[in-house]
Amino acid sequence: MSLIVIENAGKDYISGEVKVPALKKVNLSIDEGKFISFVGPSGSGKTTLLNLIGCLDKPTEGKVFVSGVEVNRLDRKTSAKFRGDNLGFIFQNFNLIPVLTAYENVEYPLIMVQNMPPEKRRQKILDLLEKVDMTDQKNKCPSQLSGGQKQRVAIARALVTEPKLVLADEPTANLDHDTAYKVIGLMHNMKKEFNTTFIFATHDQKIVGEAEVIYTMEDGLITKRQDNKIAREGN
Amino acid sequence: MNNIIKIAWRNLLRYSRRTLLTSSLIAVGVALVIIFGGIGDSFKSEVTGILTNSNLGDIQIHKKGYVGSIDNLPLDLAIPEGGKKKIEALLDNNREVKAYSERIRFGAMISNFVQTTNIRLTAVYPEKESRTCPDLVKRIKEGDSNPDTFVKTGSIVIPQTIATGMNLKLESDVVLVATNKDGSVNGMTFKISGISENIMGPQGKDGYIHINDAKSLLRIENGEITEIAVKLKNFNRFKTVYKDIKNELSQMRGEKTGKPAFEVHSWEELSPFSSIAAIITLLIIVVRLVLISIVLISILNVMMMSVYERIGEIGTIASIGTLPSKILALFLTEGLILGFISAIIGNIIGILILLGLSAAKIKFTFGMMDLVLAPGIPLNEVALTTIIVVVISVLASLQPAIKASRMEPVEALRHI
Repeated sequence: MSLIVIENAGKDYISGEVKVPALKKVNLSIDEGKFISFVGPSGSGKTTLLNLIGCLDKPTEGKVFVSGVEVNRLDRKTSAKFRGDNLGFIFQNFNLIPVLTAYENVEYPLIMVQNMPPEKRRQKILDLLEKVDMTDQKNKCPSQLSGGQKQRVAIARALVTEPKLVLADEPTANLDHDTAYKVIGLMHNMKKEFNTTFIFATHDQKIVGEAEVIYTMEDGLITKRQDNKIAREGN
Repeated sequence: MNNIIKIAWRNLLRYSRRTLLTSSLIAVGVALVIIFGGIGDSFKSEVTGILTNSNLGDIQIHKKGYVGSIDNLPLDLAIPEGGKKKIEALLDNNREVKAYSERIRFGAMISNFVQTTNIRLTAVYPEKESRTCPDLVKRIKEGDSNPDTFVKTGSIVIPQTIATGMNLKLESDVVLVATNKDGSVNGMTFKISGISENIMGPQGKDGYIHINDAKSLLRIENGEITEIAVKLKNFNRFKTVYKDIKNELSQMRGEKTGKPAFEVHSWEELSPFSSIAAIITLLIIVVRLVLISIVLISILNVMMMSVYERIGEIGTIASIGTLPSKILALFLTEGLILGFISAIIGNIIGILILLGLSAAKIKFTFGMMDLVLAPGIPLNEVALTTIIVVVISVLASLQPAIKASRMEPVEALRHI
């Protein structure tokens, strides 16, 4: 069964009195446990598509199903709960909460979203921080961390709720070459370990090369699908 | 909830200068309310204590209609002996009554054989009057100030103004001439046994004679009097006891009219100071309103700025699944903590200043009365002010918090 099904999804934005189509009748199906990349120039609709899949926005037309749920019909509260239970997000600017330490940032979704009791969450967070190699930095605030460290914390935060799907919008855009590779490798390992589906919107060829399936977008349309035989994971 | 408090607290510390300035502003406002409340209460209780303990008593009982004509000191509106006994029985049975004093109040002419002037007189039994108004004898600056004998038969205590104006000394002889209720005039000679200082209020410049002399001068053959002053054991229970006595006396009806025969008045109804006390209370309310405005505007300003500066952050927490209600709670808690801590700091400052003033015991004169400013801690004011600040802080945070909770995550994230 497909994790994500998109049927004729379109999204228009209104700029002044002009209607700007950002996405045009997109049809798509993505299976579980995949490493997917959307590539294309700025304004091609990558981020818009990620926002629709991530229940952050609603399509002007068409339907979006995630885990069998038609997410475009969810109200604000149900949508938030669905995101908290099923999705993880990684942002270009890391978007860590500045007043919380690395540990607390990872802990945040477990407390504020899933209401997990302290005894259950502690070991889980420590394990995850160890996997992203941030145990020794766990008590530092984001302002004390490098870009790569912040993104590793963000990955841990995205995965701590064990989501079926992680959406990452330009996750390596603010990282240098080496750090970007390490972060991609880390995400790959996480994908293998947790069987989580990762979907990226990116310009970054490093990520594109790592994806199992690459969708190319132009002017709000998916113009090409390419299966990447030499993607990491040893396949 | 602990985590919401933790995040809210850290967000306040994150903008430490802004938090400090806002908190200081609110704390100063709170301190002013506490100080003003404390001083106002101290002043009111000091003056009230002087007035009730020196001449008014806590409660006064008269024949119906007397207070309406009190400026004339009418003798024809006297409490008859039968009525007096009923009232005394009622007061004797009331456990809250500490003492009471029968009085005959009337106007007379006083003469030193060279000059003549008007004088208002209160005729009393000295021992009963001293129990009802224990500070009365403290006003007697010259002469006999023994509580049980400060007026003996044949003697008079005159107010300072008349002593000065007529150049009267202790042991001087004076003649009192008065008209009784039937219109006949009578005169008697008295020896000055004391000179009392004046205080503000309706009986603040009265002379005092023994009640038996008043009966002779006014040719009162029965036991009628014009007034009964009552002292309560616990002034804090004043309102309850006053209401009870008023209710009980309203049951005593005139035989002919069938209407209540007596009227009861509190010291507040008899003294012009009650208006000043009301103005002080009003001023405290005005200061509270100013405080509310300060809290409302400053917290609203801080929280609006906070929401505006953290739009991206709101987008992040919303996108990772934080419910709108929790985002609302987060910002409300920030406002609440800011208000609560400011209120606590303000209370501490206010209380410390009041303690300092209390220790300094500043003396001043008000309406011919020497007062000592020794404010206590107005606990009710402290509690009320804290509640007001916290409630207003939450209300002021409501609009920014609702705005934050209703933000579309996708739009909020674009602000990064």
